[in-house]
Amino acid sequence: MTPEWMLKDENYIPESDKDTFINKSILSILGILSRIKVQSGYRKDSFHVSAIWKVAFTFVMIVLLSISRSFTFVIIVNVYLLLALSMMKANEILKILKVSFIVALFTFVILLPSVFLGYYYSVIMITPKVFATVLAVNIMSHTTQWNAITGALRTFLIPDIFILVLDITIKYIMLLGEFSLNLLYSLKLRSVGINNKKYSSLSGVAGTMFIKSKEMAEDMYAAMECRGFSGEYRIYKKLSFTFYDFFYVIVNGLIIFAFFYLRKA
Amino acid sequence: MHIPDNYLSPSTCAVMGAAMVPVWTVAVKKVKTEMSRVKVPMLGIGAAFSFLLMMFNIPLPGGTTGHAIGGTLLAILLGPYAACISVTVALLIQALLFGDGGILAFGANCFNMAFVLPFLGYFIYKFIKDRVKTEKGEYAGIILGSYLGINAAALCTAIEFGIQPLLFKNAAGQPLYCPYPLSISIPAMTIPHLLVAGVVEVIFTVAVIAFIKKVSPGTIYQSSKQKIKAVYGLIVALICLTPLGLLAAGTAWGEWGGEEIKNVVSGGNTLGFIPEGMKNGFNFKSIMPDYTVSGLPETAAYVLSAVAGVAILLILFKIIGSLKKDKSGDIHE
Repeated sequence: MTPEWMLKDENYIPESDKDTFINKSILSILGILSRIKVQSGYRKDSFHVSAIWKVAFTFVMIVLLSISRSFTFVIIVNVYLLLALSMMKANEILKILKVSFIVALFTFVILLPSVFLGYYYSVIMITPKVFATVLAVNIMSHTTQWNAITGALRTFLIPDIFILVLDITIKYIMLLGEFSLNLLYSLKLRSVGINNKKYSSLSGVAGTMFIKSKEMAEDMYAAMECRGFSGEYRIYKKLSFTFYDFFYVIVNGLIIFAFFYLRKA
Repeated sequence: MHIPDNYLSPSTCAVMGAAMVPVWTVAVKKVKTEMSRVKVPMLGIGAAFSFLLMMFNIPLPGGTTGHAIGGTLLAILLGPYAACISVTVALLIQALLFGDGGILAFGANCFNMAFVLPFLGYFIYKFIKDRVKTEKGEYAGIILGSYLGINAAALCTAIEFGIQPLLFKNAAGQPLYCPYPLSISIPAMTIPHLLVAGVVEVIFTVAVIAFIKKVSPGTIYQSSKQKIKAVYGLIVALICLTPLGLLAAGTAWGEWGGEEIKNVVSGGNTLGFIPEGMKNGFNFKSIMPDYTVSGLPETAAYVLSAVAGVAILLILFKIIGSLKKDKSGDIHE
């Protein structure tokens, strides 16, 4: 015999509760993780230019943009970057443009009131400069494997140990990020109806992450020691110079020339 | 609080970057001696932790959310030096790989968020904790440390923005970088931090530390028994801020020279004369009159005067201190 209570209709509707902050945290961590996952899929030679040149010229470009007082130069750089962007994949273009426009728009809104102070220069110059800078960094980071970027930093006399720390950080953002995602998911799933303890649980998530990160560090150190890690870390790399590198250097050389030419004029 | 590029002049960025070099050097050395066993992985994973901490959204009244920086939290958990390196690496990854925060402004961002925030927050925490040895005292330290830490960082950011229009203008008088003077940038940066972001930081910091203390108390950083040197940190900060004195057009109240006192206004009437005693009194010609040194730009001379003043005071206090010690030594013998 089926008990009577099993035959009754169940219409329990949990009261809805606000959990925007969990969703937002999940989304921002997911965003970071997907970004890391995507970059590991880049072919090493997308754009066919070695990371060293990309990092070096991106940096030079940002410095020149920041110094330049010529609107023409800022426009030239913007055009060049848009051209470079146009050679990328549509979904990447969309992502990069979205970020760049948001930051530029934010800058514009922030600077707009300065017009009332009579400072029109800032709005006209800084907004496109910010746009170009964000564009340049994003193009670099979207076309290069991140370990190639950190590797390229070595060429600029940054100590090896620092690059090792950077590499570990990127890997563990991934591992710790996935760990905290699971914690956030379970917090979300277990908060049926109104859960007043949800806010305090968030500190539990962060606290657990810290304890986990300590454990991970100890495990990693033990593993490194087992494999004979002595505290030294070296990167060996051959510097090759291809036709694409040559082309990239020439184009960037022209832009640097334009900077000095327009400065004189 | 992440400053993007082109808001600060490249020279400001260079100065801030140069200011961070000794901080990083000391931090790396300290970390090497303090955490010899698990030094390298902990730095990387600590950086990953601080990176992810900034991704956490915390509910705010009114249905919106904000995120904490967790600078003081990291400093209490890992120690201020390891926190400095972790936040630095996290900021570098944000700037270089995620395009969040400027590459040139990296030094300035590190100064605010990897130096001022964790160190000030930690030293306030330690200062209070060492004096009030109850649990309440410790939490008071955490609250004040994280609140003042983030607000000091916001103030530094505001000052960096605010000095731009003073220092960098083109021929037409138009500011080249951030156009807002200190009178706008300071309230714009500090008011939201005093009211909202500071509170978020405090709540998050206290809650996470309370959780870890309950669950796994052994993992929190225990500093070696060094006497607090917060005073030194404060002095260094004040030296850095001395160029602000240039902004105040007048002489400090009560520090009038002989000629200036003639124009001092009291109760609506100018004084109109030089008091007799001041006219003929002892006229002390200082080595650095009006804090300027010939052959140096005014700002540099100002900082130099401040350093000299502090050095002289420190020497004096040390001599007085040593005299006292000798006396107490005598008594014991």
